[in-house]
Amino acid sequence: MIVPLARKSLLHEWRRFLPAVVAVAFSGLLLLVQAALVLGIFGSSAVYIDASRGDLWVGHPGTRTVELGRAIPRDTEIWLRLDPAVDRVEAYSWIEGDWRSRPDVGAITLYVSGVDTSPDALLFARVLTPDMRVRLDEPGSVIVDEADMKKLGVAIGDRPRINGRTVRVVGAVSGLRTLGGVNILSSLETISRLQPGGPGDERVPYYVVRLHDAAQLPEARSRLAAAGREHGFEVWTRKEFAKSASDYWLLDTGAGLGVLFLAVVVSLVGAVITSQTLMGAVAGSATEYAALQALGIGVRALRGVVLEQAAWIGSAGLLLGGVGAWAALSLARHYHVPVVLESWAVAACAVLVLGISMISGLAAVRALRSADPATLLR
Amino acid sequence: MTAPPMAIDPGAPVLRGRNLVKSFRSGRIDTPVLRGLSLDVCPGELTLISGPSGCGKSTLLASLSGLQRPDAGEVEALGALLWSLDARALERFRLHHTGFVFQGFNLFGALSAVEQVMLPLGALKLSRTQARERALEALDEVGLSARSGLRPAEMSGGEKQRVAIARALAKRPQLLFADEPTSALDAVNGQLVIDLLHRLARSHGAAVLCVSHDPRVVAHADRVLHMEDGRLLDDTRPGAAEGHT
Repeated sequence: MIVPLARKSLLHEWRRFLPAVVAVAFSGLLLLVQAALVLGIFGSSAVYIDASRGDLWVGHPGTRTVELGRAIPRDTEIWLRLDPAVDRVEAYSWIEGDWRSRPDVGAITLYVSGVDTSPDALLFARVLTPDMRVRLDEPGSVIVDEADMKKLGVAIGDRPRINGRTVRVVGAVSGLRTLGGVNILSSLETISRLQPGGPGDERVPYYVVRLHDAAQLPEARSRLAAAGREHGFEVWTRKEFAKSASDYWLLDTGAGLGVLFLAVVVSLVGAVITSQTLMGAVAGSATEYAALQALGIGVRALRGVVLEQAAWIGSAGLLLGGVGAWAALSLARHYHVPVVLESWAVAACAVLVLGISMISGLAAVRALRSADPATLLR
Repeated sequence: MTAPPMAIDPGAPVLRGRNLVKSFRSGRIDTPVLRGLSLDVCPGELTLISGPSGCGKSTLLASLSGLQRPDAGEVEALGALLWSLDARALERFRLHHTGFVFQGFNLFGALSAVEQVMLPLGALKLSRTQARERALEALDEVGLSARSGLRPAEMSGGEKQRVAIARALAKRPQLLFADEPTSALDAVNGQLVIDLLHRLARSHGAAVLCVSHDPRVVAHADRVLHMEDGRLLDDTRPGAAEGHT
């Protein structure tokens, strides 16, 4: 059209179109925040993997997520070290613990991670400074997440008990929170004393492997996998294991279905409000559209006008919703709420939001039926 | 595509309706509106269909202009059998050959006068510059060139109807249909619109078919067809005696 009717009408009658823009904006905001929360919360189930370095994870065959690990044979470490591509092998121990700090703090279930304390260790390398690792070297010392300290009822220097054994809080870091519960770090030596059955079982559920050269990953992985089939362990790249962990929480626990259901509801509400608003706008201009049809402007061109309006409403709503989501997520980060937005998720939300408005536009096109030019002649 | 300007002499009919029949069903009752009506409309003159309300004037206009299919009968417009065309072809015919002026002005609140007039020209594949030129020309013809930048809310009823006329005539149609174009206007503006329609028939050689029961229009029409109860009762040429220009 040589006259931008769609745009001019939108600007002229912005009050009429505002509800649709707001509906789309809220849909976009909710979808984005929801995506960020899902990725943040479920992504945190892979915090053990994401916070660590290393190329390969080795564990009990069939393990889906770190929390579900099982002890693997002690000789696993030997099989790993025998491979020429392997540079470093680190044991990683993980147990559940019963926490008691003060009489007024009830029992808390927490997860203790036992890690190597050498300064260049792989596990939790992104969270632990070498200085913090030195503090862990002292037997019986643990490190907590600063966001959990209030809940745990401790300050640095306190001596709470885990599984009935006294430990000492020697430091606090950030970035250990997960969906499942509170995480605490200790050395491998300390954790073996915290085993519910007492020290004795030296087996660990995981080993983390660093290769000399990351380019050797595919070959090394298939060699180690073959060894694992023989000796009772499985090998995953860190990416695979991280994905497996978040997929487990998202897909296998039913939580993902809830999130999906919410997304459908949000999209539906947005689409209904937007299409109703657009339909009202079309019906409000029905006689003008009818006059244009009488003059020979086809329904196709008029449909184009309605769809263009839908596209503008979608874009404006997306922009508004994006700004709102950015503000909401900034607030969430400020309060340590785990939120993560990845570009693919943003793109998916944008496509969904624009899809909502275009589907609304298609629904509103039906209102053009009321623009029959014969009705103008009475 | 502009028809050669014809002087006062009416040419051969450009629009013929033959045995037009149309009835509307409401509940179980069939109400006949057109009862086998035939007529010819000639270019270069303002033909008026008058008659009491409900006599079928507007239905006749809708059938002749290709907006509403009659139950029986045929319309031949510029050599084409309108009701034998498919929907797309009919739309194209309306685009290229017909203009409409309605009782309501049906202008978009968001657009200025010149944009209202340009709107249908886009469908004729005119460039923006060409369309703008032609729209300004049409607005000049209806005496609104000074108000081309105004929106409907800033114009009087008469001005709005003149914009609607400019919108119809910018396409340079050979057939111009007007349905009660003066009924929403005061005396002065009504007179202005009638004069305009009359002048357009003369200067553009278009066949202007107007439905109205406004006595002022009757006085200015070249030809008056009186309709009652779905039939044409009378065909007169009052203007011939007055020699109105």
